[in-house]
Amino acid sequence: MAKFHSTHSIQLAVFRLPGFFLLLAFFLLASPVFSAGSAGSPAPSGNRDYKVGDQLAPDPGKAKTRSASPASPGSSASGSAAAYKEKNWDDLMPRNWDPMASLKGLKLENLKDSDPRAMEALEKMREAWSNAPVEPALNGERIRIPGFVIPLEKSGNKVKEFLLVPYFGACIHTPPPPPNQIIHVRAARPVAGMRTMDTMWVSGIMQVRSVESEFGQAGYQLKAEQVTPYP
Amino acid sequence: MAVSIALSVILLLGVEQLRTQARESFAQSISGTDLVVGARTSPIQLILYAVFRLGDATHNIRWSSFQAVVTHPAVAWAVPISLGDSHRGFSVVGTNLDYFEHFRYGDGRSLAFTAGHPFADIFDAVIGAEVASQLDYHVGDRIVLNHGTGDLGLAEHSDKPFKVAGILARTGLPVDRSVHVSLQAIQAIHLDWQGGAPLPGLSIPAEYVRKFDLAPKEITAALVGLKNRAGVFQVQRFINHYKGEPLLAVLPGVALDELWSIVSIVEKSLLGISVLVVAVGLSGLVAVVLAGLGERRRELAILRSVGAGPLVVLVLLAIEGAMVVLTGSLLGLSGLFAASFFAASMLEAHLGITLHAGLSPETLQLLLLVMATGFLASLIPGYRAYRLSLADGLTPRL
Repeated sequence: MAKFHSTHSIQLAVFRLPGFFLLLAFFLLASPVFSAGSAGSPAPSGNRDYKVGDQLAPDPGKAKTRSASPASPGSSASGSAAAYKEKNWDDLMPRNWDPMASLKGLKLENLKDSDPRAMEALEKMREAWSNAPVEPALNGERIRIPGFVIPLEKSGNKVKEFLLVPYFGACIHTPPPPPNQIIHVRAARPVAGMRTMDTMWVSGIMQVRSVESEFGQAGYQLKAEQVTPYP
Repeated sequence: MAVSIALSVILLLGVEQLRTQARESFAQSISGTDLVVGARTSPIQLILYAVFRLGDATHNIRWSSFQAVVTHPAVAWAVPISLGDSHRGFSVVGTNLDYFEHFRYGDGRSLAFTAGHPFADIFDAVIGAEVASQLDYHVGDRIVLNHGTGDLGLAEHSDKPFKVAGILARTGLPVDRSVHVSLQAIQAIHLDWQGGAPLPGLSIPAEYVRKFDLAPKEITAALVGLKNRAGVFQVQRFINHYKGEPLLAVLPGVALDELWSIVSIVEKSLLGISVLVVAVGLSGLVAVVLAGLGERRRELAILRSVGAGPLVVLVLLAIEGAMVVLTGSLLGLSGLFAASFFAASMLEAHLGITLHAGLSPETLQLLLLVMATGFLASLIPGYRAYRLSLADGLTPRL
């Protein structure tokens, strides 16, 4: 008798399992397979929407107040975050610097076709760009800036050092950005799950090396206290 | 029942462990190097053969090109690497003393010697920890290198034996499986290979090699460190646009990310499959317990009739399921440790991936997730038993 019962209830068991499939769905959703990277990492916004040369707009949430407190939803320590001044990439170029200075007096309309002076001028401009000066006033300032990430130093899934550049594809497709458009970031705490060309807000203390010394070129370094996904 | 859960747990955790540890192992292998320079090829391939010794180099680069990189004002140091020979299956790396000084791994650790010193003479070799322990070499031993890679050892440079000058401390990197010699030595052992094979009748004894010009002509790749890491794009562009010959410079971090983005599809589908296997295991558990309910109707009814509430019955069945899941998980975990213990040496030998014992937090999370899901799943038969009325169980149905 009991045997009959048991086969009967196997069938019942199979057909009365909607709850189990709900559980299955829960498991599939909760497992880290379907969340990019490891659980607990700041899920960086994918970079599929950017084309080469795209730049990041200032904080999309509050585009008007640029130097206001940057307490984005992601930032945890809102008390100290308020002390960061928001900057954009143009602020990193000295105001009085003119990369076209060497081209003063050159009028393109006066040149003939395939004039060697045109190429010469382009070469000069390129050189001016690659020796672009930095803005010494930024030294020691606490700033917050968005940019694209190029990882330098990793341990496991975490990035300790990276470069921040202003536009997408800066490292591969085009001539490199000038030194005053690259920030070398050292994160106080390694950032998990960050990949090449992810977009990040970086907040920290800016260090400016304004003269080229034996220790390296002029450039910006940022001691990052906070790295949060952009936007 | 517990066995099927154990097997599915082994699969799931094994895939996850392998995935995270392979990444970690790769990321650990290089540190402090800003650019890897080699012949023009795919960036991923260059990283694979220059840093991880996986696959073969496509082409060598000239020594003069290397000199041009070294003398670039932004370059702080550059370490040449010459590959292509082997010693009983272990790769031979021709380099110079800068390698021991500048090579960094992990969190910026440098190479250390457990015995001996860097090479001082042409026929000195510095061996990695794995080479030393597997072949039982000690400082002062004589070894013979093979031409080409592979461990058959048919074409030997037997006329020019090397002396083990130093043994490196274990790093968990391809370095452990390498024999390091000077670039001059690479040049010297190939003096009589000018025709592509040892020429009959032509043999240049080891004591005469110093009469030849042993300055290196070619290297396979170079690791480059910069004075200022932010200047990396300018140096990269200088190298990629070098007029002398086509060169390629890659940022190791970027190339590794590229590699992972390709591999991640495979990783995810593997992980997805193992999640499904766990789901199959758990649904098997639920089905068996549910089927058992039919048999245990009377038993449960008697329990109820002596005073156990329906909730007690639910808890009873939930505990039973949880115990099975727990046993299965623990069994799976020990199986995983056993499997990784046996697979570790093979993985290290073939892929240079080091497995450590112990669970990463992500794996632990996954295990807890399995246990939690198993517990929740075992609530289903419990709930069914909870719904069975007392009378239903006591009334015999014929």
